[in-house]
Amino acid sequence: MRMLLAPLAAAASLASTSAFAVDYLSAEQARRLIFPDADSFEPHDIALDASQMQALAANGVPARSARWPVQVAKRGGSTLGYVVVDEVIGKFELITYAVGLNADGTVRQVEVLSYRESHGHEIRLPAWRRQFIGKTGASPLRVGEDIANISGATLSCTHITDGVRRIVAVLGLARRTGALS
Amino acid sequence: MKRNTLSLAASLAVSLLLPALGAHAQSAATDADLAQKVDKLSAELAALKAQVQASPAAAPAEPATVLTSYGEINYNRPTKKPENAQADVRRFVLGFQHRFDDKTKVVTELEVEHGVSSADDAGEVEVEQAFIEHQLMPGTALRAGLFLMPVGLLNENHEPTAFYGVERNFVETAIIPSTWREGGLQYVGSFDNGLTVQAGLSTTFDLSKWDATSTEGAESPLAAVHQEMSLAKARDVAVFGAANWRGIPGLLLGGSLFTSNATQGQAGFPSARITLWDLHARWTPQRWDLSALYTQGHISNTAELNAPLVGSATLIPERFEGWYVQTAYTAWTSGDQALSPFARYERYNTASRYADLGAGLTPDALPTERVFTVGANYKLNANVVVKLDLQRFKENKDNNRFDLGLGWSF
Amino acid sequence: MLGSSDPFPMPRLMARWVHAPRLLPLLVAGLLSACGGSADTSVSTPQEARLSAAAALGEKIFRDASLSASGQQSCATCHNPATGHAPANALSVQLGGPAMDQQGVRQAPSIRYMSFNTAFFFDGEGTPTGGFFWDGRAASLAEQAAEPFLNPREMANTDKAAVVAKLAQASYAAEFKQAYGDAVFNDVDGAYLRMTLALQQYEREDSEFRGFSSKYDSFLLGKALLTEQEMRGLALFNSPTKGNCAGCHPSSRGADGALPLFTDFTYDNLGVPRNPDIALNADPGYVDLGLCARPDLASHTDLCGAFKVPSLRNVALRGAFFHNGRFKTLKEALTFYVQRDTNPEKWYPLNPDNTANKFDDLPAQYHGNVNTTEVPYNRGLGDTPALSDSEIDDVIVFFHTLSDGYTP
Repeated sequence: MRMLLAPLAAAASLASTSAFAVDYLSAEQARRLIFPDADSFEPHDIALDASQMQALAANGVPARSARWPVQVAKRGGSTLGYVVVDEVIGKFELITYAVGLNADGTVRQVEVLSYRESHGHEIRLPAWRRQFIGKTGASPLRVGEDIANISGATLSCTHITDGVRRIVAVLGLARRTGALS
Repeated sequence: MKRNTLSLAASLAVSLLLPALGAHAQSAATDADLAQKVDKLSAELAALKAQVQASPAAAPAEPATVLTSYGEINYNRPTKKPENAQADVRRFVLGFQHRFDDKTKVVTELEVEHGVSSADDAGEVEVEQAFIEHQLMPGTALRAGLFLMPVGLLNENHEPTAFYGVERNFVETAIIPSTWREGGLQYVGSFDNGLTVQAGLSTTFDLSKWDATSTEGAESPLAAVHQEMSLAKARDVAVFGAANWRGIPGLLLGGSLFTSNATQGQAGFPSARITLWDLHARWTPQRWDLSALYTQGHISNTAELNAPLVGSATLIPERFEGWYVQTAYTAWTSGDQALSPFARYERYNTASRYADLGAGLTPDALPTERVFTVGANYKLNANVVVKLDLQRFKENKDNNRFDLGLGWSF
Repeated sequence: MLGSSDPFPMPRLMARWVHAPRLLPLLVAGLLSACGGSADTSVSTPQEARLSAAAALGEKIFRDASLSASGQQSCATCHNPATGHAPANALSVQLGGPAMDQQGVRQAPSIRYMSFNTAFFFDGEGTPTGGFFWDGRAASLAEQAAEPFLNPREMANTDKAAVVAKLAQASYAAEFKQAYGDAVFNDVDGAYLRMTLALQQYEREDSEFRGFSSKYDSFLLGKALLTEQEMRGLALFNSPTKGNCAGCHPSSRGADGALPLFTDFTYDNLGVPRNPDIALNADPGYVDLGLCARPDLASHTDLCGAFKVPSLRNVALRGAFFHNGRFKTLKEALTFYVQRDTNPEKWYPLNPDNTANKFDDLPAQYHGNVNTTEVPYNRGLGDTPALSDSEIDDVIVFFHTLSDGYTP
C-alpha cells in the first residue's frame, strides 16, 4: 500500500503549503524558529475517524476537520516535538499561525505567519504569544481566563486561542491513541 | 479510475502467458485472484481519492469579499416619564471588505439610523466608512478615503458587541462625537514593542454652520458642526495622531490629538481652531474589564464667533470635556455564552467655559452632567449580545431610564 | 428738484423733456405730490448700464407716475428708495386714487429683500409661508406688481388697457417696443404682463433691493464692531427668554453663509389694536381678517387675523408700523409687544367696566388665534413685561444698525 499512499501524502503536503499566504514567516521559517535544534522535519498526517471527532466534540473542543497535517521535528531519530500550521479567520481576514508542541504535548511556542487584519497586530508580539507556552490539554486556553485579550482585537485573539486549544486537543488525542509514531 | 498499468500489464502478461505455457488450473485460479485484487485495489484507490477530495480542507478558503454587518435595536424607558418610552432600530449597518490583492483592500460601511429614512422620518442613511487600505510593509499600512478617527476607546470599535450598556457612553458621544469619521490620508504602523501609531491629514468640522437657535450645540458641540464628508467644506485641513500601546497582554494605554482651523475661510468668520485630545486606558486581567478615559476639547476665538450670536440660546463654547471609569466582570460563561455585569460613572460638560463677551452678555457655563450606569451584557455568542441597563442622571433627572438592547456584529 | 440748479443732471431725461414737453407738467406735479420729495434724482444712469434690458425698463416703469390715474403716483411714490423702498411719511396707510385722496386698506410695506421670498405654501408642519402682500395672495413679484395699477385706492387705472395706453405714451415706449416687439402695445394682456415682468426683473437685479449694506451686515462680515448698547440690543433681540424677536425675525447667518433677512416669511397674529385713523374702521362691521380674507383660505379660520412677518431691515426708516400702521414709533411698537397683555389698557379701548377690550380689531370668535404662547406674548395681566423700558431703548438702538447704506 505504500506505493499508493505515497502519492496521496505528497499530494496532501503540496496542497497544504500552497494554501498558506506568507507575510511574516514561511512555514519553513516557523518550524526552524520553534525547533532550532531539529535536524529534520517529517510530515505526518493525523486522520481522525468519526468516533474520535465525536470524542473531541464531547470534550468541548470540536476538531473542525478530520485531517491534520503535522510536521514532526526530529533530532537524530528522536522526536523533539510537533509543528502544526493552521489558519483561522480573525475578524474578516485569515490569520496563518503555527503551534509548536513538545514531545509531551505541551505548547512550546506559537508563531504568527501572516496577519492581514487592520487591527490587532499585537497578537504577533512575543508578550502575547508567550502566554501559550506550557499550556496543556487541561488548561482552559480561553481569552478572558488564562489568556489576556488585546483591546480592539478580541475576535482575532479568541479565534487563535480557540485554534491553539483545538490543536492541543487533537494532538493530545493522537498521542494517546498512538497515531503519532 | 486509474489502473496501475504496470501491475495490470504484469497480470495480463501472466494471465496470457500462463495459459500459453499450458498452466494447470491452480495457476488460472491465481490469475483470476490477482485480477480481482487489482480491481479491488483500484476501487479502493478511487474511493480514497474521493474521500480526500470530499473532506473539508484543514484551511478555510481565503475570502476576497467579506460582507460585514452590525445592528442595534434599543428600547428606552424613562422611569419618571414613561410616556417618553421609545423603541428604535437605532442602527442597521451593512458593509463589505474586498481584498484586491495581498496588500490592498477596500473597507466600506453603510448605516441606516432609526429604521426609516425619508423626508418625513427621523432616520438617516449615511456612509460610515469608505477607504482603501494598502499595506506598505508588514505592520505598516496607509488608508485613504473616509475612515473612523482613532480617538478614544469607542470610535473605532463601536459595534454593539464591543461596549457595555445599551447606549454608547456620553463622554464618547457628546464630547468625542462618535461615530466620528473624516476623509483624508492615514498612516497606521504597528511596532514590535506593542505600540500602534496612527497619524494623518483629514477633513474637519465647519464652525460656520453653528446654529445658535438650536440645542444641538449644547448636546454635543462637535457633533453640531461635523460634516461627515457630505459636500464638506474642505479649505481647512486637520492634523491628527494617535498612539496606543499594548505591550503587556491585557493592557492598553493610549491617547490621541486632533487639531485644525474650522471656519473654512468663510467670509466674515474669523479663523478659529478646534482641538480635541484624549487619554485612555483599558485593563482586562482574567475576567475583569476595566477602562477609563479623559477627553478635552477647545475652540479658539469664540468671543469673535459669538458676537453676532449674542443672546441666542446656544453659543459656541470655548471648552468642553468629560471622563469616565467603567468596570465589567464576566460572571458566567458556558461555551460561547457569557454574562458580564458592569458599572460606569461618567462626568461630562459640553460647555464648561465660554469666552468673555462682556458683562451680562457672557453665558454661564453649563452644569456638569454626571451619569451612573449599571447593567449587564449577555453574549449569546461572540457576535450576538443582549443588553440591559439602568441609567441615572444627576442634572437632568427626567432622563433617568431603563434600557434594553439587542445587537449583533459580524 | 429739476432745473439748472439740479445737482444731479440727467441729460437723457432732459433731452426727452425737450422732445415731449407735455410730460413736464405731469412730472412736476408728480414731484410736488403729497408723498414728498421724489427719489428720481438718485443715480439711475450708471445702474442702467448694469441692468438687463428688461430690468432697465422696469426701473423706468417703477418711477413713472404717468402710469397712474392721478398722474402723481408711481411705484416709487410709496416704495421710496430713499426710505428702504417704503413710504417716507408717517401715514398709517398711503393715499391714492384718481385724486390722491383715497386711503389704502393696509400700510405699504417695504419691498426690499423680497426677491428672496417665494410663492405662498404650507410647510411640512402646516405653517403658512411665503407669498407677496400682507396676506401672501400674490405668488411672485410680477403678480404683486400687477395689482397696484388697477387698485382704485392706489394707481386707480380703470383696466389694463388704460395702463397699456399710458405705457405706449411713456418716454421709454420705444425701448419697450425694442425689447418686446413693435406690435407689443396691440396686445393689452401681453403688454401688461411684460410690464410686470420688467418690474420683477428690476427688483431682482438692482442691488438696491438687496444691498446688505447696513452696519449690522458689516458687523457680521467682521468689518465693524457694534457699540455696547447695540450689542445689548442684539442680545435682547436674540434671547429666547427676553425679546425672542429672532424667533420670527432671524438675525443669524444661514448655514450657507447667507446674511439674515430678519424675516422668515411666515405669518403671525399679534392682536394689533384697531386703528381709528383708517376711515374704513369707522364702520364697526368692517374688519380686516388678513390671511383668511383670501377666498382660497376662507375655510382656514385659525388664520384669521394673521399677517406676514415683515423684514426688519431698514425698520428705523419707517414712520408707521404693523399692517394697519397703528403705531408711529418703534418705541410704541416694541412697548406694545411686551406690554400688550401686562397693560392692555394702554393699547385697547376700555369697556364700560374699565377692562380693556383686547384684540378689538378681531371678531370675538377669532381671539383664540392671537399669539399668546410665544415669548414675549406669554405674559398675563400685571406680570412684568419681557423687556424693560431701557431694554426697549437698547433694542431700538440695535434696529438702527439694520439700515442700508452704512459707511464707517
